[in-house]
Amino acid sequence: MANLDKESAVSVNLTNPEEGKWGMVIDRDLCTGCQACVAACAMENNLAFVGEELSGNGRSMHWIRIERFWEGEYPEVKATPFEPTMCQQCGYAPCEPVCPAYATVHSQDQQLNLQVYNRCVGTRYCGNNCPYQVRSFNWFDYERPEPLNNQFNPDVTVRRRGVMEKCTFCIQRIKRAEDTARAEGREVADGEFAPACAQACPANAIVFGRVDKPETVVSQLAKQARGVKRLEELGTFPHVTYLKAG
Amino acid sequence: MAPEKQHEEHAHGEEHLRETHLMLDPKPRGEMNAMVMEAMHYTTWKFWVVAAVLAVIVAVGLFYSWGVMIAEGLGLAGINRPSYWGIFIVNTVFWIGISHAGTFISAILRVFKAEFRRPFTRAAELMTTFGLMQAGFSIFMHMGRVWLAYWLFPYPNQRLIWPNLHSPLTWDVLAITTYLLASTMYLFLPLIPDLAMARDRTEGGWRKVAYRILALGFRGTEGEWKHLRLAMNIFAFAIIPVMFSVHTIVSWDFAAATRPGWSSTIFGPYFVVGALHSGMGAVVIVLAIVRGTMKNMKYFIRAEHFEAIGKLMLIISMTWAYFFFNDYIVQWYGGDKWTNILLHFHEAGPLGFLWFLMLAVNIVIPWAVLWNKKWRSNPWIVGIVGLLINVGMWIERYIIVPISLTINRTPFTWSLYKPGIEIPLGIGTLALFILLYMLASKFIPLVPAWEVQEGQLAHRFTKYGRETVVTVSELE
Amino acid sequence: MSKQISRRDFLKLAGLGAATTAVLTGCGPASRVVVREQYIRMPEYTFNGQSTYFATTCRECPAGCGLVVRTYQGRAIKTEGNPLNPVNLGKTCARGQATLQGLYNPDRVTDPLNQGRGGALSANKVTWEEATGVVADALNGGGAAFLMGMAPDHLYDLAADLGLETIRYSALGAFEARATLTQAAETMLGQKGMPFFDMGNADFVLSFGANFLETWVSPVAYTRGYAGLRKGDRGRRGLFAQVEPRLSQTAAKADEWLPARPGTEGLVALAIGRIAAEARGLAVPPAFAGVDVAAAAAEADVPLEALERVASYFAAADRPLAIPGGAALAHSNGAQNAEAIFALNALVGNFGRPGGVFISPLAPGVDEYHRPANMQEMADFVARMNSGAIKTLFIHGVNPVFELPKALGFAEALVKVPQVISFATFPDETALMADYIFPDHHGLESWGYQRIVTGATRSALGGAQPVVVPFYNTMSTVDLLLAASQSSFADEVAFIQSKVEPLVADKNANFNAAEINAFFAYFQQFGGWWSNAEGLAAPSGGAKAVAVEAAEFEGEGEFYLLPYMSPVLGEAGANKPWLQEVPDPMTTVMWNSWVEINPDTAHELGLENDDVVRVVSEFGAVEAPVYRYPAIRPDTLALAFGQGHTAYGRYAAGRGVNPADVLGLSYNEAGDLAFAATRVRIEKTGEKRVLSRLESKLGVYGEGLGEEH
Repeated sequence: MANLDKESAVSVNLTNPEEGKWGMVIDRDLCTGCQACVAACAMENNLAFVGEELSGNGRSMHWIRIERFWEGEYPEVKATPFEPTMCQQCGYAPCEPVCPAYATVHSQDQQLNLQVYNRCVGTRYCGNNCPYQVRSFNWFDYERPEPLNNQFNPDVTVRRRGVMEKCTFCIQRIKRAEDTARAEGREVADGEFAPACAQACPANAIVFGRVDKPETVVSQLAKQARGVKRLEELGTFPHVTYLKAG
Repeated sequence: MAPEKQHEEHAHGEEHLRETHLMLDPKPRGEMNAMVMEAMHYTTWKFWVVAAVLAVIVAVGLFYSWGVMIAEGLGLAGINRPSYWGIFIVNTVFWIGISHAGTFISAILRVFKAEFRRPFTRAAELMTTFGLMQAGFSIFMHMGRVWLAYWLFPYPNQRLIWPNLHSPLTWDVLAITTYLLASTMYLFLPLIPDLAMARDRTEGGWRKVAYRILALGFRGTEGEWKHLRLAMNIFAFAIIPVMFSVHTIVSWDFAAATRPGWSSTIFGPYFVVGALHSGMGAVVIVLAIVRGTMKNMKYFIRAEHFEAIGKLMLIISMTWAYFFFNDYIVQWYGGDKWTNILLHFHEAGPLGFLWFLMLAVNIVIPWAVLWNKKWRSNPWIVGIVGLLINVGMWIERYIIVPISLTINRTPFTWSLYKPGIEIPLGIGTLALFILLYMLASKFIPLVPAWEVQEGQLAHRFTKYGRETVVTVSELE
Repeated sequence: MSKQISRRDFLKLAGLGAATTAVLTGCGPASRVVVREQYIRMPEYTFNGQSTYFATTCRECPAGCGLVVRTYQGRAIKTEGNPLNPVNLGKTCARGQATLQGLYNPDRVTDPLNQGRGGALSANKVTWEEATGVVADALNGGGAAFLMGMAPDHLYDLAADLGLETIRYSALGAFEARATLTQAAETMLGQKGMPFFDMGNADFVLSFGANFLETWVSPVAYTRGYAGLRKGDRGRRGLFAQVEPRLSQTAAKADEWLPARPGTEGLVALAIGRIAAEARGLAVPPAFAGVDVAAAAAEADVPLEALERVASYFAAADRPLAIPGGAALAHSNGAQNAEAIFALNALVGNFGRPGGVFISPLAPGVDEYHRPANMQEMADFVARMNSGAIKTLFIHGVNPVFELPKALGFAEALVKVPQVISFATFPDETALMADYIFPDHHGLESWGYQRIVTGATRSALGGAQPVVVPFYNTMSTVDLLLAASQSSFADEVAFIQSKVEPLVADKNANFNAAEINAFFAYFQQFGGWWSNAEGLAAPSGGAKAVAVEAAEFEGEGEFYLLPYMSPVLGEAGANKPWLQEVPDPMTTVMWNSWVEINPDTAHELGLENDDVVRVVSEFGAVEAPVYRYPAIRPDTLALAFGQGHTAYGRYAAGRGVNPADVLGLSYNEAGDLAFAATRVRIEKTGEKRVLSRLESKLGVYGEGLGEEH
């Protein structure tokens, strides 16, 4: 029976043909919800701040947010383990096929979901179709009064109104590390660099690396029994693995 | 029964039929043409007041607001995460739905030779074209960078990118564009003889020039009629699948997505029926208003037409109810956690009353009213039912788009949608629709005179023994 | 400069650092000038497309984490943790990340100003020569006192060298109840110093109000400790329980949360001690013997089973660790609570053992730990200000008008000081009340060092260097004081070099050099100096008798008020727009203040989310919207400290409320403010103000979905 099941699973192609390249493991047991990743992401990726009214109206530009829910009632109440949520860089991403302008596409090189800002016409279909709701839309041109603009990271485009944006796994850092490694005639070493969120994380709850190489830290962690993918049943093949708490 | 009396009754019955049926109440061609022309030219000051008010609403509500929104950003609308789509998409679907009535009435009824269609095919076709224009406006408003809207069309470009044919939105662009072109052609073809008639009955001025150009030199020769009939026939058949495809494809915007409540295989026919539901409703509203306000229209548009459309509306309402139930029960029975939360949210959430209102005006009221022949023969009653159905169908799309978008598989992001600038923009499109319709009614013959005359020629009383029956001859 | 290190050498040395970041610095005199140049005329060490990295020390809080700042063509682009710094090992918190939003904030003080105690920021610019004259006159005039921030840095040393009366204060220290912590440590551990809790090697942590994952003492270091506890390097995932009236962000990570009645934390500790002692088969020390466990559970209003369960974890653990901190110490009996909690550690004998309690290593250059002022000392200082004993008050690195309880009357006392000179980089509430504002450089524009008080397991001195050239017409306060006092030091760097000179030849450190210039270049490159020797000291104390009295509260209201330090904003983060937009970890509220209230209590009072209420104590009142917080005692209200500025730039001013406005002025035995000992009542205002929340708007349990759910 077991064999049969396995075969039928293969025959309907439920296994992911593309494991992906870069991936992330987030240990919910370690995440303290401190928001360092949220701030780090905003600083690295030139995210706009939108102010009190808009941020409370579902328009904040966070590329990563920390989810938590409440369970039970006082005194038997607890907060669910913090869950940093960013673009899961799905292998089969629901956002990609629905874009009429090819503004969100899969990168062959990095096996990541790209958002091509200057192709985006702002239909926001990708945002609707993202089961993780991790995309943010530029509803306005957000003001960053002088001299705050001095802080802009020159490696990251500043987005104008009317385009969608989302976590890129700090692709500018990936590219830089790959370019450096190529120039030095070597492969990128595991842990040589990290996206802003993983680099900042005081608890080391976010680990980043190659998921297609079994020896990397991230692959080892992802293999653990407590590793889960979010909304796995949708068959999106996220490249982010969450380690269950406790 | 005495034969005289019988004869009298027959004569009375004939009289009655003549009164109630336009096809049996012929008028001379010249007189009818004059009536159509008079209806077009007779304009009261009230007309201009209404038109001026509408023009102001269009200027401010539509064009000014839209300009501001383009300059400031889409944030002026109420859409947010997770309701990335809101009233713009609701209106798009709504207007496309309205536009279905024209094709349905003029193409399907023409193909099936339903004779009661004749006086109002054009009124319905005009709705198609103008409704699609509003749908186009609504979808362009919805775009974050509308100045790049042309990127959605396939054209050779320096970016070397073709539109993504995987995307239902690209299908939409193609389907709606096809439909707009086809329905405009289909509006134009049967208009040619009437434009020629108007040309012949206009004395000089810009109208004469315009009619002369638009009539394409139509003189009514046998050969011209033959070609025209052929072309209309081709279009009448060809536009039916286009019509079905358009709203099916619109439904795929939702059905092809991965969201709870959207991912439904029955959405295609469900949306088509919904479109007809609102479209028929819109037709009766227009007919009731046209009949009540335009000169000579009481001759052309009679209780029999409302009665006939009322029957259609009742059937469509039943079909809609069937599809609604089918969609609901399968989604509910599927037992998916998120879908169940969503269905519960539809009924018991903060906007749950809308869900009940939708069922009331889309099902309960049409069923309660339209079964009665007397009631459905009253233009105003049917008109009001049509209006309610349109409210109900708008709510249906509102429930499907922003209310369903509130619930997704990431509960942390759940958030209600409150419209902002969508409201003036939506009112602006409605005003533009009415304004265009009003102006068109002053420029083109709203009743296809030739089609009515053709029908009247085909209908006659024939005596079979003592019985007088109505016969229709095949002209086409 | 006698012996210079070439750039080539530095490029080589850069490889010694983290693999990820190249840490560069200039050298010799040139190193003192970091120039922001036009793109067409870049300094020789910059290449288009290449970033330059500078190591420095974070000034956002006194923990002293090391930073590596990425600069690009003379602009600071991003702060990262310095992987070599023993405090944070390459990690940062949200505040450290947002430090650039302070540097490039549009509301900085741009020039030295004759502020003239005006309400708004003055436009009356003075020159730095005039400023130097003003400061020189003040120094010569006598009666000058220097009120400064909590961090023990080179400015503190200079002020001491100049013979100025110095007093260090930060709201952060008050919310940590640091004086209580150090006093209890001295009593129980037998020696002075900051205690260090070796969480990473423990297997059960029992924290009493210490919010060590948020702002407490050295949050990045303790978060690392927490991660070690959970990863269970010894084969088992360590457990963690928290005792406090409100489930804080720290408690959210706990396996057990005991919502003890405010002020009963010591009692709970004694009860747990008694159960643990009995369970471990130890002779029950007298401190614990007198406690009736059931009565203590009733007094603390926690379920007896829960108390026993936590105690059983403590008893069963190999390496249990109890941590006192925060609100648990901020009661009239706070010092006793702290001692009772230390007694738990003494009971299990974890002093100086792995996973136990240590004394933090002393930073170089000091013979003992100098804690910042407690509230009683601040009250005395305010009294001296009122008495006219202080002729000139220098204020640097602290915003006392905002950070001190209003009831203390600092603002009123400030008016009575003849001359107030502020060195604030931002037009904060205190600076606006000053006679002069002589703005210091931003932390990323300035030289310096900072002694690491705790967090690192070795003696460490954080080093700071400018990563960009000063953006405005500001001047280092140290330079200003040196010039005004006609010091023999040429400039700030010379002064710093004189202070670090004794370390030059220390061979057992992260680097050493033959002479001071080379040493100082390394100092810049590494972002500080730290010893290679493990410096945690084993306490000499042992079990001591403790007794816990009942806590006393001020005021009549029916609610306990629990103010807590905002985990994201801290005491001075409100002026940074992105910190405002980073959601509070527990409530996900952004850009505002809120009152946390138990949903049942709110229901009884007829309060919904976003209803504005007035929280009234005997000392004042604040108005803020309600947040129905599921995990807070029904008799407790909580308010976060951090918002409620009336000045401090466009992003902070007029936003939220300051809980310091309602606090009473009672102290514990260690002289710390008993900030959790104020009782308040609540009044409805009938207004509604919608809080900006990131979480679901359909209710925290999804109640907005409709009935049933």
